[in-house]
Amino acid sequence: MKLPKEIVDVLKIKEPDDLIVYLTTSSVDGKCNIIPSLFTDVYDDEFILIPDLFAVKTKINLNENRIGVVTIAYPSEGKKWALRGPCGHIEWGVPDNYSFQGIRAGDVLRKWGDWEEREPFTSLPEDIRPAVIAQRGVIVLKVAECYSYEPEESGRKIS
Amino acid sequence: MAKLTPRMRNWLEGLGAHIGTATKKGFPTVIVVDSAKVEGDNIVKFQLADAQVEQIKQNIEENPRVALGPGGLGSIRAAYQFKGSARLEGNTLIVEVNEIYCTKPGPEAALRLDVLPYESIIKFENTRWRDTGPPK
Repeated sequence: MKLPKEIVDVLKIKEPDDLIVYLTTSSVDGKCNIIPSLFTDVYDDEFILIPDLFAVKTKINLNENRIGVVTIAYPSEGKKWALRGPCGHIEWGVPDNYSFQGIRAGDVLRKWGDWEEREPFTSLPEDIRPAVIAQRGVIVLKVAECYSYEPEESGRKIS
Repeated sequence: MAKLTPRMRNWLEGLGAHIGTATKKGFPTVIVVDSAKVEGDNIVKFQLADAQVEQIKQNIEENPRVALGPGGLGSIRAAYQFKGSARLEGNTLIVEVNEIYCTKPGPEAALRLDVLPYESIIKFENTRWRDTGPPK
């Protein structure tokens, strides 16, 4: 689905510590894993991109069960959204023409494969900055549905 | 058995958690609760709205395994992930935590903490964070 402009604007690269999201994945037999990310961007208004910085268990899950959920963690006022859909990872080394849900690995890696060029990690506060930057690739989630996580209306679809 | 530290308790109680659930075939659903109550060493209780219960009831019945990430600023300031077994009693989600991981981006990501001696977990926290919970 194409994301509403309001959601695209929130997830697009701006400042390094302006938004924190969670990415939740699951093994094929239902064991969830949830990791935070300080970095997100949006491609073609429907793909959420997150740099792969040591996302070990997330990738194990995505290798066997290609679905994920992104939720806005902070700041969440007026942004209580959960975005769910097919999710995979495009690693350095895959062929340029490898495709995930319609986007080419070469296109993603050329633009987001060195995330720090677009969003400098050094501007993060020292206590939350990764000690070592070793980006392995890019995690890609194609948003298929968006629902509210506001408690009283949790699960309500947002078009 | 996992044992939560005072810092973990304070962040969970103060800002709640994003709660990852899934069907037994791995289709995930996340709900978010903005506070919690920690009891004993490893029991975390969340009060859910009716809509949240409806959203995860089937998942919890068929697959009680859940993952918790601290809410709000805790997502990055309290870089923990808690995994455990959940059950619903009315609108209360009761999670028995049995695994605790570090989620700080970088080489410590996915480090399992609950297998360390409790004193080592406290030392790990003290050498990385100065706070003992969310800002007042």
